[in-house]
Amino acid sequence: MTELLARFAPGLHEWLTLCAVLYAIGLYGLLTRRNAIAILMAVEIMLNAAALNAVVFNRFVTPNEIDGHIMAIFVIVMAAAEIVVGMAIVVSLYRLRASVDVNQMNSMKG
Amino acid sequence: MISDATYTVMFYGLSATVILLALLAVNARQLLRAALGLMGMLALSAGLYVMLRAEFLAGVQILVYVGGIVVLIVFAIMLTRSSELLEDHPAKLTRILGATFSIMFMLIACYALGTTKFTESESTQAVRDEVRDIGLALLDRGANGYLLPFEAISLLLLVAVIGGTVVARKTPPKHQPFTTGGDLRGETVAHPPLVQDDEHVVESKS
Amino acid sequence: MQHAWLIPALPLISFAVTGLFISPMSKRAAGVVATLSIVAAAVCAYALAWEYFTAYPAGHDHPALVPWSYEWLRYQPGLTVNVGVLVDPISVLLMIVVTTVSALVHIYSNAYMHGEYGFGRYFTFLNLFTFSMLGLVVAPNIIQMYVCWELVGVSSFLLIGFYYSKPSAVAASKKAFIVTRFADLGFLVGVILLSYWGFKLYPDWTTQVGAAQNGLSHVQPVDFAYLNHPAFLEQFAGLGATFIGINLLTLAMVLVYMGAAGKSAMFPLHIWLPDAMEGPTPVSALIHAATMVVAGVYLVARLFPAFAFSGTALMVVACVGAFTSLFAAVIGTTQDDIKRVLAFSTLSQLGYMMLALGVSTADHAMGYTASMFHLFTHAFFKALLFLGAGAVIHAVHTNSIWEMGGLRKKMPITHITFLIATLAISGIWPFAGFFSKDEILASALGNGHTFIFGVAMLVAGLTAFYMFRIYFVTFWGPHRTHGADHAHEAPALMWMPMAFLAILSAVTGFVPMGQYVSMGEHEAHHGVNLAIAIPATLVALLGIGVAAFLYIGDGSRATTLAARLGVIYQAIKQKFYFDELYLFVTHKIIFRNIARPIAWFDKKVVDGGVDASGWITRTSGLLLSYLQTGQVQTYGLWFTGGIAFVVLVLWAALV
Repeated sequence: MTELLARFAPGLHEWLTLCAVLYAIGLYGLLTRRNAIAILMAVEIMLNAAALNAVVFNRFVTPNEIDGHIMAIFVIVMAAAEIVVGMAIVVSLYRLRASVDVNQMNSMKG
Repeated sequence: MISDATYTVMFYGLSATVILLALLAVNARQLLRAALGLMGMLALSAGLYVMLRAEFLAGVQILVYVGGIVVLIVFAIMLTRSSELLEDHPAKLTRILGATFSIMFMLIACYALGTTKFTESESTQAVRDEVRDIGLALLDRGANGYLLPFEAISLLLLVAVIGGTVVARKTPPKHQPFTTGGDLRGETVAHPPLVQDDEHVVESKS
Repeated sequence: MQHAWLIPALPLISFAVTGLFISPMSKRAAGVVATLSIVAAAVCAYALAWEYFTAYPAGHDHPALVPWSYEWLRYQPGLTVNVGVLVDPISVLLMIVVTTVSALVHIYSNAYMHGEYGFGRYFTFLNLFTFSMLGLVVAPNIIQMYVCWELVGVSSFLLIGFYYSKPSAVAASKKAFIVTRFADLGFLVGVILLSYWGFKLYPDWTTQVGAAQNGLSHVQPVDFAYLNHPAFLEQFAGLGATFIGINLLTLAMVLVYMGAAGKSAMFPLHIWLPDAMEGPTPVSALIHAATMVVAGVYLVARLFPAFAFSGTALMVVACVGAFTSLFAAVIGTTQDDIKRVLAFSTLSQLGYMMLALGVSTADHAMGYTASMFHLFTHAFFKALLFLGAGAVIHAVHTNSIWEMGGLRKKMPITHITFLIATLAISGIWPFAGFFSKDEILASALGNGHTFIFGVAMLVAGLTAFYMFRIYFVTFWGPHRTHGADHAHEAPALMWMPMAFLAILSAVTGFVPMGQYVSMGEHEAHHGVNLAIAIPATLVALLGIGVAAFLYIGDGSRATTLAARLGVIYQAIKQKFYFDELYLFVTHKIIFRNIARPIAWFDKKVVDGGVDASGWITRTSGLLLSYLQTGQVQTYGLWFTGGIAFVVLVLWAALV
């Protein structure tokens, strides 16, 4: 049993697949959610998947380097900055229009 | 050190949970529940970082994501009263298309990853001082250093903080932001002072 | 002679300057500038004539020179169209006629059109016409001729429709334009035929004969010098190719003649000229009597060797000319509008010129000389008749001869000049018409066309009759209306050109035309052939006598005669119902059966297709605008789908 499990020890591809799945879930949320906050949450999932991806590559391709980690930290910082501005906009929008439904945000309609 | 078998079990267990929680985060009709799913997903991702020998990152993940971002999201949910409202289901067509395209995207990515040959290598260091390496890299002025991006990202954070404050601040009614389109004003009239309460809250918070 | 290009260029410059700058500023100045430019052109023309005929005096060879030419269109090596100035006896003759009459008409118009709305426009158009006509006259090749040919058509159209608020003037200008355009279609086909074969046979001809040997080293396939050259004509006529059994040369010449007939208003394309009298009277004098209408005659004369080579084409010219001259003279006897009588008289005289050309042959080309002679004299006395009629109309404010009368005493100068012109056109010695008519009759008889000679004789009598009819009715008898009672002499600016033209009408007959303008062998000037002159004069006197008998007095004899002739008189008076026939053909047959289906096709199919393309664009735009929902998410959705699609396509294509 142990050997069997050991044979299925996750390699690079399994990790990358996990990242792709997470990213796709985030994408799905981004495309379908109607609440602006929920959309930002989906974006967080995607960012997280990207950061994880960087770390995965760092672990398997260049284990002696630290660049992947740095990239992940940057992504996390970006995510933080993004969520700050995003939430500020959402709150401000809500005050203006009493709604955060993106379906009503169509002033770009031609 | 944990064994390969344990590692495998941990990986698949964590992965499955993370994916389920992520699905919860993008599907839950109650935003608070979705936020909870997001929080769990991010927290468990920290476990994945640990499995990748990125213990420092795992800590950062917990601190920034779970402690900062998710809390901010929860605040936003409460401020916008979204917690009391069930989110409308998206249109069926949008969901089908979104799912189709996302899955196609995923399959394409997986296919691309699966068919690409990466040159993997094993670590030569027995023990690694991750925090020290990160710190050195961030402050390294050399060709492989990250001093400039580090400064740039710190500037970004500063701008984000200021920007967030400015945007979320209560503005005097004379020059409102986002009054570019005619229909925006129309919408404002359509939903009159529902907002009074919240403005008060926002001001006290900020 | 190198400055011959000035003659057409002066009116052109004046046209542009007057039309664009002077006319909007000052109407009077426009008239003065336009007039001065034409006078200057006339002076240049006289200088050119003097120079040319001093260099090649009377009785010697008169070569065709091209003192100035400029490469205009280069199609391919060996096919170049130049604009240039051709100087030979007939072009010099026409230049003198055109510039003289035009200058006099310009002077006259300054008084006649005084105070009219569109005074500046009038002179601008008049200048345009003079330029076009001179360009036509000096054309060294058939392309320039055709271009200027259309330009005179346009200026004629503009001037006939000068009073564009008057529906009859608009209709007349349209009629003139459409009829002449229709004729020009034939001319165009003729031009194409001639230039196509001219170009095709060009290399052969140059190698066989040698252009330099003929003194034609720089001749282009469209030049008259080439088209009239016997070597070319021989080859062209000798082509086996025929079209519905007609020799190509004959066909080309008949088509060219169709254009000439349209411009010179030969039967059956004559219908536009009487209506063209709707234009101002000086315009009628210049364009529809003296110059533009003789362009057809000039064209035939210009291509005379080619016409002569194809005897059939020349026969057509002769028959149509003879018939038109008789036909128009008969109608002329019954018309009441003074200008219409003159118009039919013009038709008749143009027929005369055509007839004279038609009876000539390459060897016995006396008719050619006679035709040009008659063109020359006719221009002066017919312009004078029109100007006189204009003066009368100006004084009496009507066109109908029955509302005039007794103007002899009221307008002595107009009366005298009109009488001189009437005598000239009737062919009474010693006035100009006598000589030229005599020569035409002599040439018809000399080449054995007895029947045509008879017709011409009859026409001479009729001409004298109807001209003296309007003379007597207008200037003799009682004042029939209040207007005639209060008529007074025309101002000096009007009578002076008339007096000048009267002098010309009296003396131009003594020009020894045969020594200047001739074709082929030099024939000694015949002088007056008494055997022809005496009967012709007698016939003319008979016509005058009949007119005097019928119309001096109250005109009751004429009324009785008209009543006795009954149906015939009515038919003649209604111009043999040709206008009605044309209207029937165009409206009932062409419009209904051809134009309407075409209009339907244009509206439904052509316009429909255009509309459909617009509709498709608009609708697809509308449909596509639904894609622009303003929802960033929707955009993202399609964006993602697009990426997936592109990647799949790339894989399918690359892997």
